[in-house]
Amino acid sequence: MTSFLDRIRAAAPIASRYGGSKFRKPTDALVADLEAALSPGQVRADGAQRALLSHDASLFDGGVAGPVCFPTTGEEVQAVVTVALRHNRAIVPRGAGTGLAGGAIPFGAPVVISLTRMNRILEVDVENRVAWVEPGVVNLDLTKHLKRIGFHFAPDPSSQQVCTIGGNVATNSGGPHCLAYGVTDAHVLAVEIVLASGEKAMLGSIGPQDEGLDLRGAFIGSEGTLGVATKVAVRLTKNPPAVKTLLLSFASVRAAANTVSAVIAAGIVPAAMEVMDQRITIAVENFVKAGYPVDAAAVLLAEVEGLADGVKIEAEQISAIGTQNGATEVRLAQSEAERELLWKGRKTAFGAVAQIKPDYYLHDTVVPRSALADVLEEIYKIADRHQLIVMNVFHAGDGNLHPLLLFDRRIEGELDRVHAAGAEIVEASLAAGGVLSGEHGIGIEKQDYMDRLFTSDDLDHQNRLRNAFDPSCRTNPGKVLPMAHSCADIQALRSVPAGVWG
Amino acid sequence: MDLKIDPEELNACVQCGLCLPHCPTFRVTGDEAMSPRGRIKLMREVQDAGAPLTKEVLRSFDTCVQCRGCETACPSGVQYGHLMEATRETLAAKGKVTPRWQRAALMALNRPRMLRAGSAALAIANKFGLVPARLGLPANMPVRQAPLKTSGHDVYLFTGCVMDAWQRSIHAAAQRVVEAAGYGVEPTGALAPCCGALHMHAGLAKTTRKFARAMIASLPDRPILVDSAGCGAAMKDYGHLLGTPEAAAFSARVFDIQEWLAPNLARLPVSEPLDVRVAIQDPCHLRHVQQVHLATREALAPFVSELLELDDEGLCCGAGGAFSVLEPELAQDIRARKLTSIERVDPDYVASANPGCALHLASSGVPTIHPMELIDAAINNTPLPAK
Repeated sequence: MTSFLDRIRAAAPIASRYGGSKFRKPTDALVADLEAALSPGQVRADGAQRALLSHDASLFDGGVAGPVCFPTTGEEVQAVVTVALRHNRAIVPRGAGTGLAGGAIPFGAPVVISLTRMNRILEVDVENRVAWVEPGVVNLDLTKHLKRIGFHFAPDPSSQQVCTIGGNVATNSGGPHCLAYGVTDAHVLAVEIVLASGEKAMLGSIGPQDEGLDLRGAFIGSEGTLGVATKVAVRLTKNPPAVKTLLLSFASVRAAANTVSAVIAAGIVPAAMEVMDQRITIAVENFVKAGYPVDAAAVLLAEVEGLADGVKIEAEQISAIGTQNGATEVRLAQSEAERELLWKGRKTAFGAVAQIKPDYYLHDTVVPRSALADVLEEIYKIADRHQLIVMNVFHAGDGNLHPLLLFDRRIEGELDRVHAAGAEIVEASLAAGGVLSGEHGIGIEKQDYMDRLFTSDDLDHQNRLRNAFDPSCRTNPGKVLPMAHSCADIQALRSVPAGVWG
Repeated sequence: MDLKIDPEELNACVQCGLCLPHCPTFRVTGDEAMSPRGRIKLMREVQDAGAPLTKEVLRSFDTCVQCRGCETACPSGVQYGHLMEATRETLAAKGKVTPRWQRAALMALNRPRMLRAGSAALAIANKFGLVPARLGLPANMPVRQAPLKTSGHDVYLFTGCVMDAWQRSIHAAAQRVVEAAGYGVEPTGALAPCCGALHMHAGLAKTTRKFARAMIASLPDRPILVDSAGCGAAMKDYGHLLGTPEAAAFSARVFDIQEWLAPNLARLPVSEPLDVRVAIQDPCHLRHVQQVHLATREALAPFVSELLELDDEGLCCGAGGAFSVLEPELAQDIRARKLTSIERVDPDYVASANPGCALHLASSGVPTIHPMELIDAAINNTPLPAK
């Protein structure tokens, strides 16, 4: 991965990171024009702000943000994009900054469009089961808002308490409950976007049928490289009448993985099936105190929902399949509070690892369910070889692995070992017939692996699609597609005179 | 610049961002520089990477309410309070935060006579409408208050500074409730004039340590009951602040009054519950710092007809000690969110166990009441304040 960052640095040299220039407030024409287009309070160009927005939740450290804008309407987004166009500057949209693949990391001092202030729920249409929301609405806020009318937004990534709908659209987010409900793509009917040219476009429709090409589908998961979403029509999902959550303990990760395959093979589609290994369970339990068994080698959190009678039967079936596969304990959450606490543990798992090491590298690959146990075994071996601690927590139901490699970046050479191990994990997943990313996206993290999964023709076509939306390659340049297939990005990154933004 | 933050504690943050929605200033601004993750990142830039202390960096540190809602949200257990306290202490020592007029005002808190005289003057000015509304003074602020009398020596009731000068009636209610449970109460009054919480917030930790040492010497042996969540949190932290075994032993004797009352409920006389719908507003320093907010529910449940929960997971109301006075715009934006949550449950009263929160909410028209006043009303038939 570092090789890519080296190339970026070569394309647009970055002055010494903390030499002072980064913290000097630039007062150039671009900032003045942005302030004129919005209001002075909505544009920030100070060093502190730019230092902060040069990062997201990933490990990548080579970003350099230009001025940061806080638009509050679609028209203001258009105005920002138009100013950027006039100054031949790239744009990078940003939500809550929880991405793990570096999708929101700005390269070459672009105009960063922070969408956190576009956080209104515009319209809830229960009859048609659709809501129009702005991209900065927090995923969980939307679900809470819908709760009192008995609905929710189905994609529920672990970061749902903080991540935004715009970010969900950008990465086509999943989440534990996407096993039964499908990922973001299945829950977004239409997106209003602003193109790099400053024009508005509506992709998809809330009507029963789309006309022509499914551009909505092309946009979802495009990680900000096709334009900026300014309004999203989301599908409302009815809350189930009954829910049961089971916690199964196992003496091995393999037994847990086999149980997952067996449940699906038996024709049951639970709402969610999540596995955590012992190390992560201990860290999580230390934070939530939900009664997770810390002595089990692996735990499986399975949830079934629907009509009460069906739920009861399915819970019994899962329990029986677990026991056949060696479950040492099967526990049924007895109350809503207990359920919520178990899920809180699962959903804060990543953050909890800092109790053990100060840094983590969270991977995201998908393998066929039947290969789960073998790939997991391989992952533990890879980590051992590189003398690293690995923890596994994953969306077992759809084969989406999230190995966490723990390290301390202050220890010389440890990050290099993490990157080496990470590369081997990706190779192992691909070798088992898997794909690069389940839900975090490609960003800058997996760019260099794209040609392992796609042919040169595939990638060229993806680039042509990108060019159709954004001929100048100014929206989130340097992401997703490998550099060899998106040459124009280099031009966009180079357009900033060296030193201007430090 | 060395902010004198413990490097291990500073390094504990993994920058995952799960704290963002639990931070009141990020919630109302959407500005990473006004989030715990952003503030920690800037601390690292300044302390580890030699970034200059620009006015934007200072602003980021200055706008933290220190509610510590991020701590209970943090799965990594980052001790954010320690990070911010160390930062403020270093910056205050260099004269970068807490200007002189603020220091002078804070020093008055430890001088009960001066505080009472000043408060009486304020109360009179307030009656004539001469005090700006943003100061959030209670509308019926008393000019003269009856003194609290010692009824025995089983427990101390910590009376503190501003609360005693402005809201002694709450202490009186708390005292009656504890006496009804069969305990003799000694109000601390001049024995322990101020806990030093606001000084700590302002970076004047040296002053807080001085107050702490004096208080530990003057309040020996007995449990110390505190009816102000902010004070209780500060006093429970003396053990960490002074790092001595006797300070730790002192902190172990400090109880939030609801926390202490909950296991003693059976000793209170049986009474009809009041016919009121009460929403519980959890003060941050009760919920996120002391983490004993459930006791408020337990203590109140037998005495009111209905308890209502707000749906904002204990997000700060914007009071934050002196924050509502120093940062009125931010404080009002933050309060607006709380008001929306309150409106959704439409209560008769909002029960708050912290004077700062109660005043801040009351100044926008919310009918606030202390849990002890409700219990007092139920068991002693004292009249409830007008809604």
